[in-house]
Amino acid sequence: MEALEKREELIVIKSNLKKQQRQLFIRRFFANKLAVVGLAIIIFLILLSILGPLVISHDPYGMKVDDRLGAPSSIHLLGTDEFGRDLLSRIIYGAQVSMGVGFAVAAIASIVGMAVGLYASYYRVLDNVLMRICDGIMAFPAILLAIALMAALGASTNNVILSLSIVYIPYIARVVRSAALVVREETYIEAMKAQGASSWRIIWLHIAPNTLSPLIVQATFIFANAIIVEAALSFLGAGVPAPDPSWGNILYDGKKVIFTAWWMVVYPGICIVLSVLGFNLFGDGLRDLLDPHTNQAKK
Amino acid sequence: MKAFILKRVLALLPILFIVSIVVFLVIHLTPGDPATVMLGDTATEEQVKALREQLGLNNPIHEQYVHWISGVFQGDFGYSYFMKQPVMDTIISHLGPTVSLAILAEIMAILIGIPLGIIAATRRGSATDQSLMGVALLGISVPSFLLGLFLVLVFAVQLRWLPVGGYEPLSEGLLLHLKYLIMPAIALGSMQIALTARMTRSSLLEVLNTNFIKAARSKGVKERHVIYRHALRNAFLPILTVLGQTFGVLITGAAVVETIFNIPGIGQLIINSVGRRDYSVIQGVVLFVTFTYVFINLVIDLLYGVIDPRVRLDQK
Amino acid sequence: MLQQPLLEIKELKTHFNTERGRVTAVDGISFHLEEGEILGVVGESGCGKSVTSQSILRLFDEKYTVKYDGEILLNGLDLLKLPMSKMQKLRGNDVSMIFQDPLSSLNPVYTIGYQIAESVMLHQKLSKKAAYERAVEMLRLTGIPAPEKRVNDYPHQLSGGMRQRVMIAMALACKPKLLIADEPTTALDVTIQAQILDLIIGLNKEFGMSVIFITHDLGVVAEVCTRVVVMYLGQVVEEADVEELFARPYHPYTKGLMKSIPQMDGDRSQNLHVIEGTMPSLHDMPKGCRFASRCPYADEQCKEQAPKLETLQSMHKVRCWHYEKIVEMEELTYADASR
Repeated sequence: MEALEKREELIVIKSNLKKQQRQLFIRRFFANKLAVVGLAIIIFLILLSILGPLVISHDPYGMKVDDRLGAPSSIHLLGTDEFGRDLLSRIIYGAQVSMGVGFAVAAIASIVGMAVGLYASYYRVLDNVLMRICDGIMAFPAILLAIALMAALGASTNNVILSLSIVYIPYIARVVRSAALVVREETYIEAMKAQGASSWRIIWLHIAPNTLSPLIVQATFIFANAIIVEAALSFLGAGVPAPDPSWGNILYDGKKVIFTAWWMVVYPGICIVLSVLGFNLFGDGLRDLLDPHTNQAKK
Repeated sequence: MKAFILKRVLALLPILFIVSIVVFLVIHLTPGDPATVMLGDTATEEQVKALREQLGLNNPIHEQYVHWISGVFQGDFGYSYFMKQPVMDTIISHLGPTVSLAILAEIMAILIGIPLGIIAATRRGSATDQSLMGVALLGISVPSFLLGLFLVLVFAVQLRWLPVGGYEPLSEGLLLHLKYLIMPAIALGSMQIALTARMTRSSLLEVLNTNFIKAARSKGVKERHVIYRHALRNAFLPILTVLGQTFGVLITGAAVVETIFNIPGIGQLIINSVGRRDYSVIQGVVLFVTFTYVFINLVIDLLYGVIDPRVRLDQK
Repeated sequence: MLQQPLLEIKELKTHFNTERGRVTAVDGISFHLEEGEILGVVGESGCGKSVTSQSILRLFDEKYTVKYDGEILLNGLDLLKLPMSKMQKLRGNDVSMIFQDPLSSLNPVYTIGYQIAESVMLHQKLSKKAAYERAVEMLRLTGIPAPEKRVNDYPHQLSGGMRQRVMIAMALACKPKLLIADEPTTALDVTIQAQILDLIIGLNKEFGMSVIFITHDLGVVAEVCTRVVVMYLGQVVEEADVEELFARPYHPYTKGLMKSIPQMDGDRSQNLHVIEGTMPSLHDMPKGCRFASRCPYADEQCKEQAPKLETLQSMHKVRCWHYEKIVEMEELTYADASR
């Protein structure tokens, strides 16, 4: 009876502690003004890509020959492109594509990379093979591998997501693996093994949660990088195919008319910089909070 | 030191093996028959058949790989049916501009990035530090192709100071060479400058917090010498790593920048090859650039040993 | 007229700016050091003893993080008022320092010879060759075998004890008047520890070099020092000659520290004494006596009012409201127990 009460007491203390830690974490995050600005930018872009299409009145695919390359005006706030399509609506739909690709890549790379990293850390034999493959993929400069994969797969939004995920999986796997290796050595993992817990249980319920902080930080930066690389691929004509709008796509069109229509370059450009800046600020803030190593360096 | 070098070189072999397999598979991932793809839509059935025979496409896939990789070891990167010349020749003829561009950008990263990082670290927390790091963060967030376009918009379209694009080799005179390369190099180098500055700052700050810096100060070493003699040499390892990675980014970043500025380099070559589905060139360029990148990182690794006696001497 | 002490610290305060506001890690410390003396500064980690020692050489970043108050007089010259350039000339030449962790205190990318010779070249303007000869001589003096060969070694090639000898050689290369030793033996194992202590005592006798010996270990103090300053939470709580302190410790904190020294010849069945509780945070300083929260004798007065450092006969100083009462009480219980 007494033991039970003690145990319950302990659980209460533990959950209070977790709550306190969470509150401290949130307070410290909001004390970092730059990180908050980053988060605000990200939220703004997410809202823009979800709610934007409901508000705008122009069809992003609607061509009008009379309105070709129109300067920003009261009807077309950001002007029109060389087919007379409204630039503002194309940028808003482009936000959906660019943010969507960034999110999908970060998510797929995180899930697959996590599995690879966890199993590599748990099984020695697997470790050698998986990590050599990761080293091999990381030996490629990222954009180059993406271009090669796109060339092989053919230009489409799904293939952009697939190629970029392949490119970034090793980065997640590496981070997860090194975090997991630390946990693996803890005594309680040994104890669980001795008690006969299945490896699936140990890996996913006990090791995995401990790798989340570095994973989230890494995923934030991958989100930012995926946006850049998608834009670069589309800008080169090897990414999201026309007529679908993406920020890189609009720039590709803009480059051809740079002498007459500056707005075609400036506005999508600002969007790219803003989103990447947002994720970098947010990621820097998270890293300062979650990564003890850089914390130490800061003191 | 010899054992150290040998060990590092041997560690590369599995990586190069994986790289070659990935590159080899890329062409087999393409939908359709590689021979048809290589020859283009206009090829006759006999031509396709002949090429299949020549490439050994009817053999099992591992034999094809061995055939291909043994060619690569002899410098045979394949043949481009579009360019009507060996892939290696195509690569070499496009190498000059890219190397010029990458070196120029790397020089900027070293000459601007490292000093800015030192300034920020030694004035940690000051307004100078904060504004420098703010600019650096912006630098990291502006992709090179975007900066390139903005530069064109300002300096070529509005001000008309510099040409919109094109390339003049060094043999036409240094000034002319630079006039065409300066905008692309800035576009390409800005992110590397920012990355180098950030890394220099954080690495130097970490070293400045160590006990041996305190010990150096405690024996009366002047602050200038504390930073340049004691701290910087230790801080240099992570900076070197960034510079090495930078070089890889530069070569591929060149792909995008060269397209904007219409520079006939490796980058433009691969983009054009993607456009005309010239897979043997794509394969060759990817393999060539990645090998170069791996080799540069090996050199950086070996430089570690020169700088840090712990790396060098522990390899006995 | 009394002879001027080599070092006199008057009301030294060291404030740090941190993320959570300003903290005063050293709060009004005063003590002095005679020429040729070995002074022990004792306290748990976090009591401000290391901050005090590094404040003497002004090793903290004064631009953004640290502010000093008070005076640090070296031969009557106030170090806190010196310009940094003068301070740099003095460091390593007049006052040297050795640190707790000898590995992290040596620069990994330079040979030990270079690191010893560096301060000689700096302060005594010797040629490189002469400076290296001095380095070899110092290595020999500190008992390193084959110093002519060792001089070209890198720090990671040496053992922990050797590294600390190198640190000492480095600190003594310019024959300073004062050596500050900040826990020089903590990171070393017991036999090496004894060797290093002997070395420091020997150098003190041979060259008349004064030493401030910072440690958390009263056992080491008894072996090495002539006089002791006990610190708690940024303040001096007791100061006395070493025999006096061990014979008659007044402050409850000092008593606690003494009981926690393991006794080789004592009753092994007795548990080692541990001072209950933890030190309060610097951010959250108690307003009364700083030791009150952990003191078995604390009452309301202790919690409300901060005691002053009182000087008793025979230069024994103590910061406690009840030291007389406590001595009486202890004598009583002792008498009870032995009856």
